[in-house]
Amino acid sequence: MTAASSLLLTFLREAWLALASAFLAFALLAGIAQMLRVSSASVLGASLWVWESVSALLSVVVLGLFAFLGIPQIVSALHSTLPGAGGCGPISELGTLASGLIGGLAALRMLKAAFVSMLSASIGGASTFANALIECGEALFGMILASAAIPLAAWFLGTC
Amino acid sequence: MFGPILEQILAIARDAWAFMAGLLIVVALLGGMYYVLQGTAGMAFGGSRMTSMAIIGVVGLVIIVLFAFLLLPQIGEMLESFQPQAPF
Repeated sequence: MTAASSLLLTFLREAWLALASAFLAFALLAGIAQMLRVSSASVLGASLWVWESVSALLSVVVLGLFAFLGIPQIVSALHSTLPGAGGCGPISELGTLASGLIGGLAALRMLKAAFVSMLSASIGGASTFANALIECGEALFGMILASAAIPLAAWFLGTC
Repeated sequence: MFGPILEQILAIARDAWAFMAGLLIVVALLGGMYYVLQGTAGMAFGGSRMTSMAIIGVVGLVIIVLFAFLLLPQIGEMLESFQPQAPF
């Protein structure tokens, strides 16, 4: 069980690193796309378009800071609340595996939501920051539910 | 495991960056030409406001391009320094 858990977490960690690198690349692309929009709009004299692009550029920076500074803190805070070993024997091992996987999947889901939002901004669409926050909220709610479900399952299946 | 995929994505992103940087230069040059034309036309028939608006437009365009080419890489480096390890 420990080997499987380690293997799965390694896989999720590599996915996290790849997603974070791709996120950074697309953040820069979104930034230059918005700057291109600013320059073309200012030449055309479309002031509203300029302000839209400036606010989109600011939202790209805020989204990047949220993804790189906020999400890891939220995940590590919630991960510490997940009970790792709610019993003994196989239940304890299952609890450890489940808490690790839940934390990893929730972290990846949050980063994926931020990545999709950034991708939308990089192709010139609206930066769907609200959708990213909603998806992060769903992941948080899932982790909170799991933190209650794991001890309940351990109690139901039998604790030492 | 994700390394080869990431390399492909980064190669596409690099190409896209080069394309958009080139497009930004082209748009800025066209805009600059337009403002120069506007300024010279204003000077030719005594439109001082037109000329001054053209000068302001050229300066604004230069500032935007400098902002794009100097500030964006700095923001990228800042975000890269914040890039987190997996928190689990």
